[in-house]
Amino acid sequence: MTQKQSVLDELPGELIMWIFIISELLVFGGGLVAFLSARIVDPVMFAESQDLLHRTGAALNTIVLVTSGFLAAQALSLRKMGERVKARLSLIVAAELGVVFLVIKGVEYADKAAQGIDIETNTFFTLYYLLTGFHALHVVAGVVILLLIAWKDDPENIETGGSFWHMVDLVWVLLFPVIYLLG
Amino acid sequence: MTKDPLTKAWIWLVVLSAGSAVVAILVSMGVDRRIAGAMILSLALLKSRTILSQYLGLCNAPFWRRGMNIALAVFCGLVFVLYLVGGTTA
Repeated sequence: MTQKQSVLDELPGELIMWIFIISELLVFGGGLVAFLSARIVDPVMFAESQDLLHRTGAALNTIVLVTSGFLAAQALSLRKMGERVKARLSLIVAAELGVVFLVIKGVEYADKAAQGIDIETNTFFTLYYLLTGFHALHVVAGVVILLLIAWKDDPENIETGGSFWHMVDLVWVLLFPVIYLLG
Repeated sequence: MTKDPLTKAWIWLVVLSAGSAVVAILVSMGVDRRIAGAMILSLALLKSRTILSQYLGLCNAPFWRRGMNIALAVFCGLVFVLYLVGGTTA
């Protein structure tokens, strides 16, 4: 007798990972809505503050993250084909690109600090530091996870850990235009 | 040209990201902010759809892909409305 398939069975990977991904998207989505709502109160201050951000560095970081995501996704395909060494290498390079993202972000934060800009400067920078800082913490966690799954390289581990990394990637492609570009 | 869907997705994401950077330059050159905002959010929507479909594997789960795409489109629509409202009070 064949069992009727639930739509939940369609989902790739672990259901709990998807619950986590959707929860994270809701948290960041709420943060971005709060950011744009605060902008309504003082759009001039938001535009002036946004002009102080490193748009080029953030755009470069988008390319760094999508490339890292590509390598993490490719690692799963390679592992399923039995190419363990190549899969591990892909994951390690993906983690290294995560570190590159953090270095670029660190340069941006250091530049802001040198200009005397911090989390208390104004509402824009409070929300900027909260949202990008929280995202950067996810990148740190993601780098650790990528290295862990390169070590414990079961296909299930790679799929679950890779999903976390793609979520980090997905959040950034929504965060970047709202915080850096919509002036 | 590669036939691998993952590689195609990556190339597409890099092109879209470069597109965002170009639109950001156009904004600083004085392009109408409503048009620029719509372009920036359209590019973000296309990027997020590609990540969901190809990186997260929803291309094999049409029900969930449709649901997530609708949710993302609604979110980008809300962001665009808030962006326009924020501009009108400037």
